[in-house]
Amino acid sequence: MTVEALKALESLNEFRLTETEEQKTMEIFAFMEQQAAALQNTDTEHVEVMVHCMPMTNVFREDVREQVFSREALLAGAPEHSEDSWIVPRLVK
Amino acid sequence: MEYFVTEIDRDGTVAVDDTILIKDYETKAGSHILDGFVPLFSGDAVERLLGAGYAVRGKTHTGEFGLDIAGETSYHGVCRKADGTLSTAAAEAVAAGVVRQALCVDVNGAPRRGAALSGVDFLKPTYGTVSRYGIIPTACSGEQVGVCAGDAESVKELLAVIAGHDGKDGTSLPAASYDYTADKTIAGLKIAVVQEYYDAAADEIKARLDAYIASLKEADAEVTMISLPDAKAYATAWQIMLSAETCNNISRYDGVKFGYRTPTYKDIDELYVNSRTEGLGFTAKANVLYGSDVLSKNQYLRCYDKSLRIRRLASEKMKEVFAAYDAVLCPVMRTASVEAYDTADTFERTQQELLFTAVPSLTGIPAMVTGGVQLWSAAFGESTLLSIAKAMEGRADK
Repeated sequence: MTVEALKALESLNEFRLTETEEQKTMEIFAFMEQQAAALQNTDTEHVEVMVHCMPMTNVFREDVREQVFSREALLAGAPEHSEDSWIVPRLVK
Repeated sequence: MEYFVTEIDRDGTVAVDDTILIKDYETKAGSHILDGFVPLFSGDAVERLLGAGYAVRGKTHTGEFGLDIAGETSYHGVCRKADGTLSTAAAEAVAAGVVRQALCVDVNGAPRRGAALSGVDFLKPTYGTVSRYGIIPTACSGEQVGVCAGDAESVKELLAVIAGHDGKDGTSLPAASYDYTADKTIAGLKIAVVQEYYDAAADEIKARLDAYIASLKEADAEVTMISLPDAKAYATAWQIMLSAETCNNISRYDGVKFGYRTPTYKDIDELYVNSRTEGLGFTAKANVLYGSDVLSKNQYLRCYDKSLRIRRLASEKMKEVFAAYDAVLCPVMRTASVEAYDTADTFERTQQELLFTAVPSLTGIPAMVTGGVQLWSAAFGESTLLSIAKAMEGRADK
């Protein structure tokens, strides 16, 4: 991991680290790289991936609305909102 | 001692950790980014306990998104024991008798470690038996709501209340309810102790395990040492999956629809970046960054895909173990206490502890902490764990 690559990840995830935090994160990546290298010693050549730890197939429920929230209630939790919308800075420049 | 981030009802006997939604009460999951978030509905587990007549005393502090060792990354307050070492607020509240029981989300084992640090019980049930509807999601494929209490009977009582199918959670298993008992006879039970975990524990924990093994033998259980050669790989695989899932789940916090918004921004990009920079703690950010790296084109097959295959290996290994044994006994922590540490060491410290807690998260099997040690069983083997715990607690009381 390079500082440039780390900064690209910060940008991708829409936050910034301080220089000290970047240094700490580089140490974390170096540590995890050692762990990931050791992981390669475990033979998984004929092993299928396992996404869910318990068996799950075709998990559906009836297509019925059970819980309906008003626009007013949904907007109430926003940091900034008008009567009917979230307020954000102008998107189109 | 500050246990609660939000007090609800002073007559309540149950605490709910601040990762579980309670309608109309601010829920922050230990993070600044959720400041001001007031949910419109309660988690299914909370609805069930309220429906059964329990009252909630308050919402206990948790580490940010449950990613740390024992609650130390909470933005809103860290719980310390009288000697200054760390434990989780829920376990300390139970240990102090402030509440009888607590609901906690086990993401990376923090509630299990808290129970051991505070000398109480915690049971993370089989994945899918308790609904995850209405919890703040972090690592969806392995996190589970569990019960913390002073003894096995109290754990069983509340677990029976909150377990059962919930159509609102796609990972909820079909059984409408579960019958648990803590009264199975433990004489004749076959219990495995994992050599790799035993060897990795500090002397004080080895002594604790030795004493527990001696008690089990006195109760006519059969105890055998076994080996899990891939134990370290299981821990690394869970760390990789945990970070990847955290990366996805934390992407929803943007300072627009709910939670914290920075006061300083000129445009939408600055709003997102400044809100997330100021709102997320370092451990959360480090997990997000590592998670996005293991999901990237260069690392996906080597890290994330590899971990999904190791999850299957772990699951098959556990099936093999539980075909021969009724339970596994192992440490839940490397040491008997946790001190504050440099955040640069956060993954290294977490990885040391994940060694003992990753398998139940990775494979969905239940895990119970009692008497400062950890017990695992096959999926749906909660009654075996509760019965061992109750029998050993009975012997310790004599």
